Amino acid sequence: MARFLIRRLAFALVLLVCTSSAALLLTRLAPGDVTSQLGPFAPRQEIEATRARFGLDRNPIAQWGSWISRAVRLDFGDSFLYNRPVGPIVVRAAGNTALLAISALVVATVLGIGLGTFTGSRGTGWLTTLVRGASVMVISIPPLVMSLVLVFIAARTRWLPTGGMLSAGAVDASWTASAADVAWHLVLPTLALALPIAAAFERLQSQSMAEAVRQPFVLAAIARGAAPRVLVWRHAWRVSIRPICGVYGLVIGSLLSGSFIVEFVTAWPGIGRLMYEALRARDIYLVSACAAAGAGFLALGTLLGDVMLAVADPRVREGLES
Amino acid sequence: MRLAGAALLGLIVLAAAAAPWLAPTPPNQRFPDLLYAPPTRVCVGDAPGVHVHPLRIASRLERRFEEDRSTHIPLRWFSGGVLVSTDPGSGAPLLLLGADAFGRDRFSRLLHGSRATLALGLLATVVATIVGALIGGIAGYAGGWLDALLSRVSEFVVVLPAIYVTLALRAMMPLVLPASTTFLLLLAIFALLGWPMVARGVRAIVLVEREREYAVAARAAGANPARVLARHLLPAAGGYLGTQASLLLPAFILAESTMSYVGLGFPDTTPTWGTMLQDASNIALLGDDPWVLAPAAAIFMVVLGVNLLVQSTGRAPIQLER
Amino acid sequence: MNRSAPRATGILVTLAVLAVVVMVMRGRPSPDSATTRTATAPRHGGQLVASARGVPRSFNRLVASDQPSDMFSMLTQGSLVRVNRATFELEPWLAEKWESSPDGLTHTLHLRPGVTWSDGTPLTSADVLFTLEAMYDPAVQSVIASSVMPGGKPIQAAAPDASTVVLTYAAPHGSGISLLDMFPILPKHKLEGALRSGTFSQVWNTSTEPADIVGTGPFVLREFKPGERLVFDRNPRYWRTSPDGGRLPYLDRLVLQFIPEQNAELLALQAGTIDLTQSELRPDDYVPVRRAEEEGKLTLIEGGVSPDADALWFCMKPEAKKGDRRLAFVLKREFRQALSHAVDREEFARTVFLGEAVPVWGPITPGNRLWFSPNVPRYPHDPARARELLRSIGLEDRNGDGVVETADGVEARFTVMTQRGNSIYERGISVVREQVAGIGVALDPAPLEYPTMIERLLACNYDAVYMRPIFSHFDPANNLDFWLSSGSAHLWNMAQKTPATEWEARIDAIMREQAQTPDPERRRALFNDAQRILAEHVPVLYLAAPRLYFAHSTRTAGVVPSVMRPPILWNADSLGVASP
Repeated sequence: MARFLIRRLAFALVLLVCTSSAALLLTRLAPGDVTSQLGPFAPRQEIEATRARFGLDRNPIAQWGSWISRAVRLDFGDSFLYNRPVGPIVVRAAGNTALLAISALVVATVLGIGLGTFTGSRGTGWLTTLVRGASVMVISIPPLVMSLVLVFIAARTRWLPTGGMLSAGAVDASWTASAADVAWHLVLPTLALALPIAAAFERLQSQSMAEAVRQPFVLAAIARGAAPRVLVWRHAWRVSIRPICGVYGLVIGSLLSGSFIVEFVTAWPGIGRLMYEALRARDIYLVSACAAAGAGFLALGTLLGDVMLAVADPRVREGLES
Repeated sequence: MRLAGAALLGLIVLAAAAAPWLAPTPPNQRFPDLLYAPPTRVCVGDAPGVHVHPLRIASRLERRFEEDRSTHIPLRWFSGGVLVSTDPGSGAPLLLLGADAFGRDRFSRLLHGSRATLALGLLATVVATIVGALIGGIAGYAGGWLDALLSRVSEFVVVLPAIYVTLALRAMMPLVLPASTTFLLLLAIFALLGWPMVARGVRAIVLVEREREYAVAARAAGANPARVLARHLLPAAGGYLGTQASLLLPAFILAESTMSYVGLGFPDTTPTWGTMLQDASNIALLGDDPWVLAPAAAIFMVVLGVNLLVQSTGRAPIQLER
Repeated sequence: MNRSAPRATGILVTLAVLAVVVMVMRGRPSPDSATTRTATAPRHGGQLVASARGVPRSFNRLVASDQPSDMFSMLTQGSLVRVNRATFELEPWLAEKWESSPDGLTHTLHLRPGVTWSDGTPLTSADVLFTLEAMYDPAVQSVIASSVMPGGKPIQAAAPDASTVVLTYAAPHGSGISLLDMFPILPKHKLEGALRSGTFSQVWNTSTEPADIVGTGPFVLREFKPGERLVFDRNPRYWRTSPDGGRLPYLDRLVLQFIPEQNAELLALQAGTIDLTQSELRPDDYVPVRRAEEEGKLTLIEGGVSPDADALWFCMKPEAKKGDRRLAFVLKREFRQALSHAVDREEFARTVFLGEAVPVWGPITPGNRLWFSPNVPRYPHDPARARELLRSIGLEDRNGDGVVETADGVEARFTVMTQRGNSIYERGISVVREQVAGIGVALDPAPLEYPTMIERLLACNYDAVYMRPIFSHFDPANNLDFWLSSGSAHLWNMAQKTPATEWEARIDAIMREQAQTPDPERRRALFNDAQRILAEHVPVLYLAAPRLYFAHSTRTAGVVPSVMRPPILWNADSLGVASP
C-alpha cells in the first residue's frame, strides 16, 4: 500500500510539472499576449518593458527553462493583472474553491447518498418516485442554467446574495460576523454545484443499493433473522457504496479544480474564475500556476478516490498490489 | 418510461431534421423594428380565420410594442415550403418565441440550431464513448505499467482545460472558418476531451470483472485477451457506457457554447443552442425576457429524453462539472 | 402494478411543483409606491459601495496609466489644478491662483494655504518640484512623462518660496495650465528615499501598507484585498469644505467592490448590494433599470453623448499590405466616401443603440462640447451616389454576383475584426454589413477575443476593424498620438516615419501649431480645419456616438455625471448618502 502511495504521489508531481509547462507553452502559442491589456495604443516603450518583464522577448523554450529553474526555488513568477507574485494569489483562490468544493461535497454526499439509500432500499412508494423524478429532472438541467436560475431567484427575492464571497459594505467585521457572512454567500454556489451531483449520487446509490439488497449474503442474513434496518446499514451499505467510491475521487478532483461555470455566474473568487481571467488576459505565469493548482487538486482527488475504493473493495486492493 | 424517453428524443430529432419546413421565418433574417419582440399572439374570433396582428413599436428603448388591431394578417399553411407562416411582405412575422437582440426569430433559430448542436453532440459522444471504452478496457485488463500509463494520460487530459487547446488551435487557423471546418474541429476536440471520463469508469468495472470466475477461467483456458475483453468484460460495462454517454451529450452541447465564446465557434450565420444561450448571460433581463432560456429548455428536454431512455441496467456514473 | 405509472406521477408532480415555484417568482407583489425624486443634499457620514471593473496596477500614478490606477489617484491624491469633468472648466485645486506670462511660457502658481498631507505634514512647493523631478527621471520611465512635455522638453520648475512655484514651458502649449491636471502631486517626505535609491518605479505598488500611502485627496486607503475590493476612509485633513461649511468628503467610507463582468455589475446594482457602477448602461439594460426606478430602488440619469463613437477602418499601411491588390482602391478616398454614403446612420442608431445614439461623421462627437465642430462635411445616406463613386474608381459588379470588383477581377471583399462577446459591436457590424452589401462591398465579420484582436491591430494583420476607439483626453493638444501621422494611435496607419499622404502632412502641421498656440480662438479655428480635412478623406468611417445613461441607488446623493471616465467617482468628495 505504501509503495502504491509513493508511486502515485510521484506521478502527481510529474503531472503538475507537465500541466503547468504545457499551459505555459500553449499560452505562448496563443495569439496575443499580456501586453494587449495595455490597450491598442500604448506607447512602444511600455510594451517592450512589459514583454521583457514577462519573458516574452525570448523564445518559448528559453522562457520555460528559466521558469522551471525559478519554480524549483518556489518562485513562480509575477502576475500582470495583480502586479504581485503569483503564489499567494493562487493559494487564496484555491482556498476559496476548496471551501466551496467541500461544502458542495458534504451537501451532495449527505443528500445524495442519504436519499439514494432510502429509495434503493425501499423500491416503491410515492415518496420514492417523487425523489427519483426530481433526480432525473435535476440531472437534466445544465449546470449553467441551474446557476443562472438560482442567481435570478436570489436577485428577485433578495433572500440570498447574488454573488461574491463577502458583502460589499462589510468592513471591520468581527471574525464571527465575517464567517457568518461568508457562509451566507456560500449557500447559492453550493446549491448550484451540489444539486446536480446530489441527484447523480442519489441515482447511483439507489441502483447499487437495490442491487446490494438482492445479493445472496443479504438473503442469508434474512434467513438468520436479522432486522431489516440492520440489514440495510450493516451489510448492504458497505457493498453499495463501492461504485460511488470509484467515481468519488474524480468528483472531488473535479470540484477542487474549479467548477468554472458556477464560479463565473455567482462571482465566487475561486480558481476556476481566476484561470479564466488569467487566460483572457494571457497573464502567462498566473495561467501556469492555476493550471498547476488544478492539476494538483485533480491528482489529489483521484488518489483519494482510489484509496477509498481500495479500502472499500478488497478485490481491487489485491488487484492494485499485484 | 423508456418509451417516453424514446418518444421525446424521436420528436426532437424529427423537428431538427424538418427544421427548414417547420421554421416560419429564415433563421438569419433580421427584423430591425422588432428587437426583443414578445411572442406573437395568434388570435381567432375578432377577424375571420386564424390570424395575427402586426406589432408596432411604441418605444424602442423600453421595448414596448403595441398590436395594431385594425390590421390582421392571416396565417398561411403549406406555402413557401413552410408548414405555417405569414406573408413575408406583411411585416408581421410569426414569432412563436419572440425575437432576440438582433430581431431574429428565436423559434426558427432554435429549430435550425438543433441540427448543428445535435449532430455535433451525438457524433462526439459516439466517438468519445468508443475510444474511451477501448482505452479503459485495455487499461483495466492489462494492468501493470500499461494501466498506469493510460491512467496518467487520462488524468492529464482531464486536467488540461479545453480552452488552452482551443486557443492554440485558433492561432493556427485563418481568421474566418467555414462552418464545416469548425464542425470537424469541434468534433475532434470534444472526442479528445471526453474519452477519459468513459475510460475511467470502464477501467474500474473491468478491474473488478476480470477477477470474476468466468474471466479467470477464460484466461486460464488461454483465451485471446482481446476476445475476453470484447466478448465478456466490455459488455459488463454496457449499462455504464449508456449512462455515461447520456451525460456526455449535454456536456458537449454546453462546451460548444464555451468554445464559440473563445473564438472557435460557428459563424454568425449558423445558429446553435450554445451560442443562443450566451444571450441569457444578462441575468437582470431574465425576468423581462424569459424566452431567452428557450435553448436551455430544449437542452433539458434532450437530456431528459436520453436519461429516460438509458434507465437502470448497470451502474450509473456521475455528471462532472467542468 | 406497472412500475412506470408511479414514476410518471412522480415526474409530473415534480414538474408541477417547479411550475408553481416559477409562477410565484414571476408574479411578484405590486411594487412599492415610487418615492418622489427630490434633489436631496447629501448628509455628512455614511458609506457608499461602488463597483470597480479592474484592479489598479499600482498606487503610484506616475508609473501606471490604466484606468483603475487613475481612479485610485483621483480618490487619494490631488493635482495643482482640476478640470471639472462635467463643465470642462479649469478649477483651482492645490494651486489657488496663478499668473501666466503673455508668451505662455512662464506660469507662477500660488499654492493654497493650509493644505496638509493626510499624515499632517504641510504641502509645500518642494513637493511639486519633487513630483516633476520624479516624473522626468529617466530611471523611473514614467508613463505620463511624454504627455507632459510642452515643446518636447520637460517643464522646468523653481520654487521661490514654500507656497509659490514657477513653471517654465519650453514652448507654449495649447492647454496651458490645464496640462497640470494630468498628474498628481506626490509627497516628497515619503517618496524621496525611493527616488534617490532608484526604486521609485516599484514604490507604492499594490502590496504596500495602506498607512504608507499619503495624499491630499478626499480619501485614504484603508484596505486592499486583491481581486475583491478596495476600502477607503475619509481623509480628515482634506482641504475642501462643503457649501454648508462642513468638511468634505461627506462620506465616512467608500468601498470599491471588484466586479469584472458587466452583467454581474448590473445584477448587483439591482439587488442593492452596490450603490454605483462604473460602466454606463447598455441600451439593452434600460428596461430592468427603468422598472427598478419605478419601484423606487434606482435612479436613472443621463450623462450626455459619449465623446467616443463607433467606427470602422481599414488598415492602410503600405508596408504591411504589400501584394494585397485591394489596397489600390482602399487607398482612394472615393472608396471610403462611398462607404460613408452607403451607411444609413439613423437606422444604425435605431437598430444598434435602440435609438439612443447620435450620428457622427468625424472623431469629435457632440459629447466633447468644447471641440465639436458641426461644420464637418457629412455624407448623407445616398446609395446611388455611393455606387457612382465606386464606378468612378473602376469598381463595378461585372459578373452579377452582387459584389463589385475592379477591371482585373479583384473583389471588394474584406474581413472585419470585432471584439467578441460585445453585443453592441456584433449588432453594429451586422447592420453595417447589410448596408454596404447594398452597394456591392462585402464585409465578413470575424468576432475575436480581445488579445487576438489587439495583436493583429498592432501588426496591421487585418483587413478592417470595427470598434469604439477611446480618446484619452478631450483636449486635442493631448491627443497628438491619434492626429499626428507619427502617432502610436494613428489608427489606420500607425507610427509613420514620414506622412504617407499630403493631407496627413497638412493635418500634422495644423495639429502641431494648435498644440503650441495658447489663444483658444485660434486653436479652435485650426482644429476645425483639421477635423474638416479628416472628414473629407474619411480614413476612418465614424458611425454614431451613444448617449450615456447611468444608474445609482436612491440613497446616493450629490451625483454629477460626466461623459469622461470615471463617470461618477470623479466627484467623489461631493458624493454622499441622501438625507432622509
